Amino acid sequence: GNNPYAYIERNVVLQEARIFQQTPINPRKCGEILTKIIYLINQGEIISTNEATETFFAMTKLFQSNDVILRRMCYLTIKEMAKMTENAFIVTQSLTKDMNGREDIFRAAAVRALCAITDHSTLQGIERYMKQAIVDKVHSVSSAALVSSLHLTKQAFDVVKRWVNEVQESCSNDSIMVQYHALGLLYHLRKKDRLATSKMVTKFMKSGMKSPFAYCMLIRIASKLLEEDDSGRDSPLFNFIESCLRNKHELVIYEAASAIVNMPNCSARELAPAVSGWSYELGAI
Amino acid sequence: VKLGINMDGVLEASLYTIKAILILDNDGERLVAKYYDDTYPTLREQKLFEKNVFNKTHKSDSEIALLEGQTVVYKGNVDLFFYVIGSSQENELMLMSVLTCLYDSVNLLLRKNVEKRILLRHIDSVFLIVDEIVDGGVIMQVDASQVLDQIVMRGEDIPLTEQTITQVLQSAKDQIKWSLLK
Repeated sequence: GNNPYAYIERNVVLQEARIFQQTPINPRKCGEILTKIIYLINQGEIISTNEATETFFAMTKLFQSNDVILRRMCYLTIKEMAKMTENAFIVTQSLTKDMNGREDIFRAAAVRALCAITDHSTLQGIERYMKQAIVDKVHSVSSAALVSSLHLTKQAFDVVKRWVNEVQESCSNDSIMVQYHALGLLYHLRKKDRLATSKMVTKFMKSGMKSPFAYCMLIRIASKLLEEDDSGRDSPLFNFIESCLRNKHELVIYEAASAIVNMPNCSARELAPAVSGWSYELGAI
Repeated sequence: VKLGINMDGVLEASLYTIKAILILDNDGERLVAKYYDDTYPTLREQKLFEKNVFNKTHKSDSEIALLEGQTVVYKGNVDLFFYVIGSSQENELMLMSVLTCLYDSVNLLLRKNVEKRILLRHIDSVFLIVDEIVDGGVIMQVDASQVLDQIVMRGEDIPLTEQTITQVLQSAKDQIKWSLLK
């Protein structure tokens, strides 16, 4: 009981979306309708192609309002509905404008929404904005660009691969999340090339990274390399993982211990420091 | 907690670590659900999973469960249950950091009134919070204060009648304290 969204009907809500065309725009009312739409989608309601297309067209009007919450709800709706219509591209211009605008609070979310509606053919049109965004000073923008680029490799790997220099630069960003995202994307771009991956891991092992998440990623990459490599326990990769058992972050210790315990042919000698790492963690949880 | 030899080989080195985020009420009904891969591709399968997760966790005191080949970390409060789901091989502390961020962000948003009625009143901001924390299965942010910085709420104070007596007294006490310190 007392769920105001429990009995909303999809047809009614989609009809209500017609008020998006009215001027002046009422941000609160329009925001409420978008919330209902997102709630319905979240509950598993199916929106037809025509309905989605109509909603997209109506939403373009909402960009005329500068209301922050309304804009954020537009981005969210765009992402939720991106795959439901072939006409999502109509908001491209509005999103590109926001992505390069001065309102930082819009930029990261605009990047993510834009990439959700972008495919191989349209990506080339925004390529230079993406490269700039990847190395942007604002951390949320950089992260948004890096993670969106990762998603885009599913359909446009060749295009994203051209941005490898920008991605590499972001690996030394001082945000712990940007580092993690950059390293993850860089590995994804390089992983078919074993030598390049090895060099990359060695470089970051030596220089160290600030981010405990990036360390976890490095441990996984190193484990993967070790799996395919027979140099065994003398490998600097193994020594690196083992050294992570002494990292100051629990997250990293745990990752290193898991990696060692899950290695094929793990002997008692290797297991002991891992297990004491685990005991520490089990005690801590 | 998973010990033992991993028969599937080494965990893939990927940014895609989160399979789903759920917020259920105390009947196990879905309030928010984001699934980031196709482990449960249909609504029916999702609902079955949610039922299973809820049944296994809502009376339990622990924070972690393993079911259907997934690692589930969770936290309940009053009439809400928060879940973060990863693969069986996923780093549990990583999943916990996402859960903590989710819970703390909602806690901050709702000014410690983490209950269904209040959450539904601000469900738009809750959708935005989830969106800030995980994007397509990738962890974006684990710091609740940074998440809240990106979420703007309409200037809407919780009306006096909605605060509990305790809260009113506490805030009055705080105000008196501050005015004495000045």
